Parts: sequence; C-alpha cells; structure tokens
Amino acid sequence: MKSDTFWKLIGGLGVAFALPLIFIVMIPFVAQSNVRPLPYPEGQEVDGGMTAYPDKALYRYGSSDFGRQIYAAEGCAFCHTQVVRPTYAGPDMWRPGWGGRESEGLARETRPRDYLMEEVAPLGYQRIGQDLSNVGHRITSREEMHRHLIDPTSFDPDSGMPAFKHLYKESPFGKGVEPTAKAEALVDYLLSLKKDQPLPDAVSTGS
Amino acid sequence: MEERAAIDRSTRYPVMFFFTSAAAWLLVAALLGLVSSVKLRLPGLWDDCQFMGYGRLFPAHLNALVYGWSMQAGIGVMLWLMARLTRNQLRHSVAIIVAGHIWNVGVTLAVLTVWFGYGNSQPLLDFPRWIWPILALSYTLAVVWVIPMFRNRRESLVYVSEMYLVGAALWFPWIFLTANILINKGTAPVMGAGLDGWYITNLIYFWMAPIALAVAYYIVPKIAGRPIYSYPLAHISFWILAFLAGWTGFSRFMGGPFPAWMPAVSGAAAIFILVAILATVSNLMMTLKGCTKIWEYSPSLRFTVFGMAMLALYAGLSAVSSTFALGKDLQFSHFLVGLDTLAVYGFFSMTIFGAIYFIVPRITGAEWPSGKRIRTHFWFSTYGILTLIAAMLIGGIAQGGNMAQWDRDFVTTFEVDSAYVVGRALAWALIAFSNISFLYQLALMFMGKGRKSEGPTLIHAEPGEVKSAKAAAGLS
Repeated sequence: MKSDTFWKLIGGLGVAFALPLIFIVMIPFVAQSNVRPLPYPEGQEVDGGMTAYPDKALYRYGSSDFGRQIYAAEGCAFCHTQVVRPTYAGPDMWRPGWGGRESEGLARETRPRDYLMEEVAPLGYQRIGQDLSNVGHRITSREEMHRHLIDPTSFDPDSGMPAFKHLYKESPFGKGVEPTAKAEALVDYLLSLKKDQPLPDAVSTGS
Repeated sequence: MEERAAIDRSTRYPVMFFFTSAAAWLLVAALLGLVSSVKLRLPGLWDDCQFMGYGRLFPAHLNALVYGWSMQAGIGVMLWLMARLTRNQLRHSVAIIVAGHIWNVGVTLAVLTVWFGYGNSQPLLDFPRWIWPILALSYTLAVVWVIPMFRNRRESLVYVSEMYLVGAALWFPWIFLTANILINKGTAPVMGAGLDGWYITNLIYFWMAPIALAVAYYIVPKIAGRPIYSYPLAHISFWILAFLAGWTGFSRFMGGPFPAWMPAVSGAAAIFILVAILATVSNLMMTLKGCTKIWEYSPSLRFTVFGMAMLALYAGLSAVSSTFALGKDLQFSHFLVGLDTLAVYGFFSMTIFGAIYFIVPRITGAEWPSGKRIRTHFWFSTYGILTLIAAMLIGGIAQGGNMAQWDRDFVTTFEVDSAYVVGRALAWALIAFSNISFLYQLALMFMGKGRKSEGPTLIHAEPGEVKSAKAAAGLS
C-alpha cells in the first residue's frame, strides 16, 4: 500500500518532467545541433565570394577565439546583448548600426545561423550598453576599439561603461599604455562581430 | 514527545552545518550585491582593479546567493522536515556533513573562478565545466537519504509538504544535469543560451518554490493549530506546478533567434502557474483565518506569511512579464534582475528564515537569544527587499519604456535608468545589515550558546513569558 503511493508519486513526477524535457528541450536541441551552413543557391550574387551562410570567414580561430573567452570572462554579456530583435518585438532595427550596414541595405534581425560559430550564443542578460551584434561594422579601426575599452568616456562623457585598465600595461617607452595580449584578442573578437550577412534566398522568408 | 525529540536530535549536526554555512554565504552574497550595484552606478570606481568589474562581481554574487545560500539552506530544511514528517531519525550524519563540506568547496570554486576571470557569462552556470560534477555529486550524497526516508514513512497518509520535498529533491538534479550536459556539449548555440534561461526559471519553480511551499504547508497549520483548509486544492496545485514549471524560461528571449512557439509556450506556462500559486497561497491564508494575530508574535509565522505574499507577487509579475505585450519591452531591463531577486530573497529566503527560526531551537535544545534581533532581521530584510523590488521593477519599467522608443537615443536611456541602481545598492546594504544580526544569533545557537529557559523567544513578548505564540495572541 505504502510503496504503491511512493511509485505513483515518482512516476507522476517523472512524466511531468519528461514532457517538457522532450518537447521544449531535447527536440529543439537536436534539431538545432543538426543545422549546418546553408550554401547560396546558384544565381544569387553575393559580394566577397562568399559561398555559404554563415561564411567560413566568420568562424573564429586563434586570437579572436581567445578574445571570445575574454569577453565571457569579463562578463561583458551581463550588460551587452548580441541579439537584434525583429521590429514586432522592439525598435532594435531603428538604432543606428545595430542591425548591420543600413547604407548597403543589409541591416536585418539576427537569425539562428548567425550563431553557428559559437558554442553558446552570447545573447546577453541585460541591456545596459549597446547591442554588439554588429559592432564590427560600427567600429572598424583597431585603435578606436582599444580606446573604447580603455577610455569609454572619451566618446561620451556620460557612458556607463567601466574602463578595462587591467587589460593594458604601462608602455616600456614611458609614454601612455599599451595593450596586453588579452586586449588585442578582445579587440580581434569585437571586430569580428558581424551578423548582417546576406541571407540565401531559401531562408530570407523562412527561419 | 520522546520520539520527536530523538528525531530532532538526530538531525542536529548536519542541519546546523548547512544552516550556518548558508547564512555565512548569504552575507557574502549580500556584500557582493552591494559592491556590484555601487560599481554599476559609478562605472569609473576601482577601474584599475580587475576584481572589481561589474561583469565579474555580479555573477559571483549570483553564485554565492544561489549555490551558497539558497541551495544549502534548502537542503538543511529538507533534511529536518522530511525526518519530522516521516517520523524517521536521520541516519548517515557523517556522510551528509562530508557532502556539505564538498558542496562548500564546490561553491567556493564556483564563486572564485568567476570572480578571478574564468567565467563564461552564462548566469548561474558560468563556472568552468569541471565544477558542476562536484556540485552534482555532493548534492546527491547529501540529499539521497530523503527518498528512503519518505519510502519508510510511519504514516500511510502523504503530506503535501512531503510531496513538495520529494519533488524538489529530484527536480534539482534533473534540471542541473540537463542544463550542464547540453550547454557544455556546445552543439546548439542558441539553445544553449535558451537553456540557461530555462535553468534559472526552473531553479525558481522547481527548487525554491517547492521548498518554500513545503515549509509553509508545515508551519502554517502547525502554528495555527488546525488542519490545512483544503487538501484537494493543495494536491491539484502541486500537480499544476509539477506539470508546468518545466515549460517556462524561454520567454526570456521574446523576438530572439528561437522558433516563435518556444517563448509563447513558456509564457503561457508561467501564466497558468499563477493559478496554482494563487490557489496555494489562498489555501494557506484560509488556514490562518481568524488566527492572523499570531504573526505579531511568532517569528516563524511572520516570515513565512511574508514569504508567501512575495511568492504570489512573484508569480503575478512573472505572468505579467510573460505576455508578449509587456514582456518584449521588459526583457533585458532591470525588471528581470528585480524579478530574479524577488524570487531568491523575497519568497524563498523569507520563508526559509521562518523555517530556520522554527527548526534551530528544536534541534539544539535552546531558545533564540533575543527576540529584538529577530525583529531587526525581519524589518531590515523587509525594507531591503521592498526597496529592491520597487527600484528594480519601476526602474525596469522606465528603462524598458525608454528602450521601446525608437526616437530616443540609447545613451540617454542609460542616464535615466542608472538612478534606480542606487535603490538596488541601498537594498543590498539593508539586507546585508539585517543578516549580520541573523548570522550572529545563528552562530550563537551553533556554538550551543542559546537561551536555556522555558518558553520560546517571541517578538513583542518577554522571553519565557508565554508558552507559545498562540497563547501570546490570546487564542488558546
């Protein structure tokens, strides 16, 4: 009698947990694990000789991959998102440069394949600072990116971003500071953040 | 009476170990919360020091708060309450205490690695991947005993509290393993981010809510001296929560790169859970009907009732922010931080304080040294959490509203909202202050320096003056 209620309770809890585990966790997880880069169909013209979306140039190796770890370790994602929502969910696309290169008509919301080069998409927790999905298009010079990290208030005196001085060291020549390997890697990573690649015709209407 | 005292004594050392180390972690977490909020408001402060960055302090604060305080306090309550309800003595104390030490090592590593720059920016799962097995193993070693205790219960009737405890004991490892294994596999990047949100919400509905409700279903009838108002309602609410909580969490990413049905289903689940929570809280309040005067005197009941009110508020706000109309503007704002903290400190911690004020005198055989300190703890915790909720929820609505306006410059929205962060810093200062007095009293009890006299320590009553809170309220 007693063990009967015991197994009923355990069984009920098991079923109650198995349903969401299967339907909202495992099936989407497996489906997404099988997503591969999508080649452009014949006849679609793309600049730069790209053959697939996402382009293999967006995959990270070496320094920019190390920079991704620095970005994670410094907790940048607690203030910066990397997700541009479609216009029905918010005005992200109106913010200058968030969606990508507007002048070339390439700005768009982010899609699942934009994150294929990541292990875990750094979508972010809060939006204290700017969205960084396409920061690599907004800031193109290394020097300017370094200045954003070490002296953010020089761009906007009211900026809420802290200066990451510990990523820089005194210059041996006695003048100013110079970046450590970590700062160089972080800049490599930030310059690589681009999520406005033209979509192959097959996905521009679907997902 | 003899039997019950023997059961209480059998739990003394493991439960006191978990409570005391949990309270110490809570103080650490509150201080980290204070420092990280100050840093968020004054970004230029301490920027030479790599350990004082917000992006490291805040996740370290979250880890200390959740794994240091709320998991350990929950495990302690679970061990005692299960022993009490099933009328079994707690065996394997040594194994449980060893597990508790390993868990503390794991938490220390989880906090320090993130703070020293080895984290990966996924809230609550951001420690290096070799740490989660330590936590999983020590959790198992500490909690597995609850299941045979439940199986060998001495009464055929199953209490609702027991169901919640068995649920929590099993749910935490299920969500923890699922999230860690799948995220560390790293093959589905967007689902990895979604699973982190799923894990956080599930931790609230599958660990914090069940433990808090197990406590409430025990303490409220016990102190009021009458049975639960409606057993069928309690059972139905339990199963609604059990069947729906696993679907929540993805509504944190409305408009994100997910199939649109996922945030929609999660949002719907959160709205339906509100039904279960409101039914549960009303059930408990109906049980208390006519006895509400007791909470002026009984610390346990006062904390528990406040915790239940906060649970209803949490469920309501999370349902509101799960609707697309409001949720899309509130996501990524301070509202989210306010909601998460409301869960951890507002309903979970306050209810657990109630349980600790009830349990510790019974297992140590001594009364709390001072009712005045309990009152300080209650009021400053209340001021703290209400300040935090007000600042973060109103700040979140302001911030979300600003961000939703396409013609407003993004930088000016930051200037407007950062004022609310002052409230967050103030709140953590109040919470830290209140928990100094809590930790002090708990440490005295731990060392066996409690008050050795007849009669419980009550609020608004001289020590030993009356036999119980019920008598003080003139109800018996």
